[in-house]
Amino acid sequence: MEKFAKTIYRFRWGIIITVFILTALAGFQVKNLKINSDIISTLPDDDPHASLLKDVGEKFGGNKIGMVILETDDIFKTEVLEHVRQITEMIGLMDGISSVTSLTNILDIRSGEDGLEVGKLIDEYDIPETEEALEELKNKTLSSDLYKGVIVSEDATATIIIFTLLEDADVESVAQAVIEKTTALELPENIYYAGSPMLVTAISDLIAADLIRLIPISFVVIALVLFLGFRSKRGVILPLLTSAVAIIWTMGLMAMAGYHMTMISNNIPILLLAIGSAYAIHVLNRIAQVRESEPERVLIIALTYILPPVALAAVTTMIGFVSFIFGAYLTMIRDFGLFTALGTMFSAILSLVFIPAVVAVLQKKKTNPSINPYKEKRSYLSEFILAPLRILLFKHPWYLFSAWMLLILISAGGIFLIKRNVNIQDYFRPGNPARIAEQIMEKKFGGTKPIFVVFTGDMQNPEVLNTMLRTQEHMQKSPDVLTTQSVADLIVQLSAGLGEGENIPDDQDKIEQLWFLIDGNEMLDRLVTEDLTEGIIISKFISSDDKVKEAFGVYMEKFISENSTEECKIRITGMPFIDVTMSTSLLRSQVGSLSIAIVFVIIIVGLIIRSLFRGLLATIPMVAAIIILFGFMGFAGIPLNIATVLVASVVLGIGIDYSIHVMSNFNFWINFGEDIHKAIEDTIMISGKAIVINVISVTAGFLVLLFSEMVPLQYFGLLIGFSMLASGLAALTLLPVILILINRKHTFQKR
Amino acid sequence: MNKYFISPLLLLLFFVSGITIIHAQDGADLLRKMDQVIFAPKDKQAQVKIMVSSGSKDDKIREAILMQKGADKKIYRYTKPESQAGVATLSLPGDIMWLYMPAFEKPKKISLLAKSQAFTGTDFAYEDIPVLPYSDRYNSKYLKTEGNTFLLELVPNADKSNYSKLVVAIDQKNHYPVRIDYYDKRGSKQKEATYKYIKTGNYWNAEEVTMTDLKKNSQTIIIMSDVKFDQGLPDDLFTVEKFMK
Repeated sequence: MEKFAKTIYRFRWGIIITVFILTALAGFQVKNLKINSDIISTLPDDDPHASLLKDVGEKFGGNKIGMVILETDDIFKTEVLEHVRQITEMIGLMDGISSVTSLTNILDIRSGEDGLEVGKLIDEYDIPETEEALEELKNKTLSSDLYKGVIVSEDATATIIIFTLLEDADVESVAQAVIEKTTALELPENIYYAGSPMLVTAISDLIAADLIRLIPISFVVIALVLFLGFRSKRGVILPLLTSAVAIIWTMGLMAMAGYHMTMISNNIPILLLAIGSAYAIHVLNRIAQVRESEPERVLIIALTYILPPVALAAVTTMIGFVSFIFGAYLTMIRDFGLFTALGTMFSAILSLVFIPAVVAVLQKKKTNPSINPYKEKRSYLSEFILAPLRILLFKHPWYLFSAWMLLILISAGGIFLIKRNVNIQDYFRPGNPARIAEQIMEKKFGGTKPIFVVFTGDMQNPEVLNTMLRTQEHMQKSPDVLTTQSVADLIVQLSAGLGEGENIPDDQDKIEQLWFLIDGNEMLDRLVTEDLTEGIIISKFISSDDKVKEAFGVYMEKFISENSTEECKIRITGMPFIDVTMSTSLLRSQVGSLSIAIVFVIIIVGLIIRSLFRGLLATIPMVAAIIILFGFMGFAGIPLNIATVLVASVVLGIGIDYSIHVMSNFNFWINFGEDIHKAIEDTIMISGKAIVINVISVTAGFLVLLFSEMVPLQYFGLLIGFSMLASGLAALTLLPVILILINRKHTFQKR
Repeated sequence: MNKYFISPLLLLLFFVSGITIIHAQDGADLLRKMDQVIFAPKDKQAQVKIMVSSGSKDDKIREAILMQKGADKKIYRYTKPESQAGVATLSLPGDIMWLYMPAFEKPKKISLLAKSQAFTGTDFAYEDIPVLPYSDRYNSKYLKTEGNTFLLELVPNADKSNYSKLVVAIDQKNHYPVRIDYYDKRGSKQKEATYKYIKTGNYWNAEEVTMTDLKKNSQTIIIMSDVKFDQGLPDDLFTVEKFMK
């Protein structure tokens, strides 16, 4: 340890320059970091539903369809239809758009004398103006399944303009242009945007807005807390600098390795800011405690003490994050675990190497060193919080212990009230246009959760097409499926239009020749593959209830197992099924990652402080804090979602540090030959200060997430802030009380 | 859903070509001369190959025998792809088309009521196909000479057009179109058609037409071979009873 400190002192300039160069290199990479807000791309390939969904997206281009929703009291008014026409024309002219369909350009194909009549529902150059003509149009539109609930809502208060992006279009720039140009029209109706390209763009915007807005606020808040805690420039600048460097290294590494920022990883900077500053606080706090005149000596004494607990704290925090890699369903959560673990490692290394190096450069010879190197500096915090706490601990240990037990018991009851939520619309704050758009789509257009039934076989074979129709009929028996669409529908409509009956012709030659009428158009690309060996039924699911989704899955699987053959293989996928898996996996990954983290933390803490029993004791405050966290979630109605599922492990990882500092300090004094009183007293007075400052700074840092645009992140911030308080309090009260109660007999005997 | 219902290739069934020559620099005069070239033959017979290529997708190829009388009576009898061999179409004045599919016994009538519809999925829109003379549909303005061509600006004389203007390059000597640029309503060039004319007998004929959609980066090429003019195709060939035989 002494050698380590001496090496840092000797190479202090080298260390500072190396950190500077590495930061510059990583900083250069950060600008290449891209945002990926497409949830589908973060679904794991080993889940059959997820891989089939991705496959469908690639083969049939479903991710390239966007929608503009126009909402007003009645769509069938001349001026409203004129506005629809304006938007349709404007989007059609934009770069990156392949096609647009709306009320004002949709084709109207009907059976006429001797054959088909191909017209338009509305003549865009001659929009109806009289009341009678508008009423007639309304009746005609709402009486057709081709339009009602598909392009105009049943209550005629909303209509959608559907557009398809070109294959090589840049999704976000096209989506942005659609929004800008539609806004520029200054239409009086309510305008919303839906569909994958628009949703992905909305989320990306929120991620970018959060990054730009929240990181500076976090820095300011933590700086303020640090200043109040340390009342020195060094105490503010060095922890923030360390955190900033760790953040830049981590994000630079993400960019270099080709990873993207996601709606989860955008809180990495805030997390690392809190973690990085914590390690720096402990190191600086310890250096400040040392009363020595020689700077090298100061480092040796401080590092000898602080290296093991900080390293241990880092390892346990990393375990908390690494546990996501093994337990999580979404790859974005796994990536988040990996990079926060790496960021934690960088933070610890910087705190233990870079900060001492900077201090060594800045440190002047102390002119009036104290005789006792471990004597605590007096402060407001020490006098009015820690000192009374110390007295309370010894005076009423049983009361404190009982109060904790009661709190834990009540919280445990709340665990059973926790709900799960994976609905994408709930990611947005109430009133957010993307959330309203999702709600309108759900209420008026049969939902936004796509379902795809994939058929593998000859797409011109009558049996295959009839199986498709049967599957569609079966799907539509569910109250949560309003519309279905497939190539079989097109063939039936053509057959009916040509007077051949409303069915699939039983002769394959007829189907092949009917194909002549639809061959080469874009719609076909969305329904069948080019080689005609695969086709899909496109549908949407209304309910957001996981149980309903699960029941529908069972209902469909039964049908599929009865109807899937070698010649016509049927598979089903879609967001409702992904939601169910994701929801189930939330619980599984919560239990999984938490168990992994707890076991590893006990083992590692036990090994380091050479007592498995004390390792176990160190985890008690964490387990208590986690039970309180879950209880709070249950009682407050905060659901387990893709962000809040991370909280428990993060709390375990960060919060265990407090216990480690308490246990290390306690052990240090016990090994030093002091009695339990002295050990607890000094632990509270020295480690207590760093813990309290850290709890406040981390909590404040995370509470900044309450200003996030993403609801899961708001909850994430609130819950981590809450849990940090709980775990800090547990480390400073519950753990010492347990130590007092366990050691009391021993102490009295010794005394 | 049914916006894309009808094959864009059907549009090509309306396609015509032709030739003549005259000199003048007045826009309207030049355009009339171009129309005379295009609509000159009394009848025409040819092998037609249509190739549609779009992005990463495989080219779609169709082959047919074309028989045409005047500007607006046309029969296409398809020979390829094999699954659709024997399919025939008859286009008649008034945007009416009859479709014969051998697997179905009777021919079917398809009435195209949406004249202004710009069909997607191909590079030809309905209004790109000169069933009526250009001089009837556009107001022309002479722009300048460019190489061996006169450049004319054509502005649609009806509201129902998807274009703000067309710029046509007309061969100075023979007055056939060499290139037509189509501008969208923003005024950006959206499509470009190029023509390769050769003289067959007394007439100029576009043996190859390439329409490129600059926005979609897709292309449709029509190649004509074995072209014969004024064979005296009888009128009753272009009737519902006869066209499929």
